[in-house]
Amino acid sequence: MESWKEFDQNPITHSVAHHLVAIADLLDEFGYARVSDVARLLGITRGSVSVTLKNLKQRGLVVEDEQRHLGLSDEGAEIAEAIRFRKRTMVRLFAEVFGVEAKQAEIDACKIEHLISAETTDRVKGFLRFCESGDGEALFDAYARYRDRAQDATK
Amino acid sequence: MSAHEHHLKRLNELFAEELEAGIRYLHLATSVKGLDRLVVTKTLLEGMQETFEHAQTIAERINQMGGVPSLDLKLQLPPQKISGAEAIRTALAFEQAALDAYREFCDEIKDDVALEEFIREQVGVESQHVAELTLLLEE
Repeated sequence: MESWKEFDQNPITHSVAHHLVAIADLLDEFGYARVSDVARLLGITRGSVSVTLKNLKQRGLVVEDEQRHLGLSDEGAEIAEAIRFRKRTMVRLFAEVFGVEAKQAEIDACKIEHLISAETTDRVKGFLRFCESGDGEALFDAYARYRDRAQDATK
Repeated sequence: MSAHEHHLKRLNELFAEELEAGIRYLHLATSVKGLDRLVVTKTLLEGMQETFEHAQTIAERINQMGGVPSLDLKLQLPPQKISGAEAIRTALAFEQAALDAYREFCDEIKDDVALEEFIREQVGVESQHVAELTLLLEE
């Protein structure tokens, strides 16, 4: 019952998660990331990005070279990858299994990507694999039919 | 997007940078605890005043160019106790970001001498501000 209090104490806040993932995405796509790139990607001011990055640099999650290009430390990269993995997994669960519209699935996954535990994410991943397997396919199809019938009934 | 529209977009981004910096200065000035308050609060409130004046100057420029100042701030400032030095370091982070934004915009302007001159002046003012904050952090 007390676990809700942990949300406020999570060192990886929603904002921190977005900054780390933005840097990882920019590095993947362009090979570099600057404060201006992160600001445009997240739709916030450069000042806001700089203040957040100041804290992330102090925590050893983000590094900056002499040309002011941003990078992730090993720990920062690990956290960013874990968040991206959780988001991908939750998007698949919501969209492919529950039939949530793709955009809404992205939004809802974004809300929990930095909060859900690695253990639960692994279980969800296992469930998705089960759905794709021979054993799970029939169950998944039965659920999809039930879901669609229920949706039709509520219309 | 025409060059004129692009310039207005950039000016609105600078308007947001300056206004947000002003709010951050006020938050920092009221968050500093201990004896540091005696030394740092006045500097931070002066910074607030200056950045709001810069925001007003930018907004006037947007109006003169036929645009409308617009603002889309996503700002969360959680409660914090902060030392004077840390407050100055935070101020330096967002002032440096604003200076970089002015410099980048200055490099982009090719066809508007008056606007380029206006932004160049802002670069001078911001550079001085960053230098002053940097001096405060020297041992």
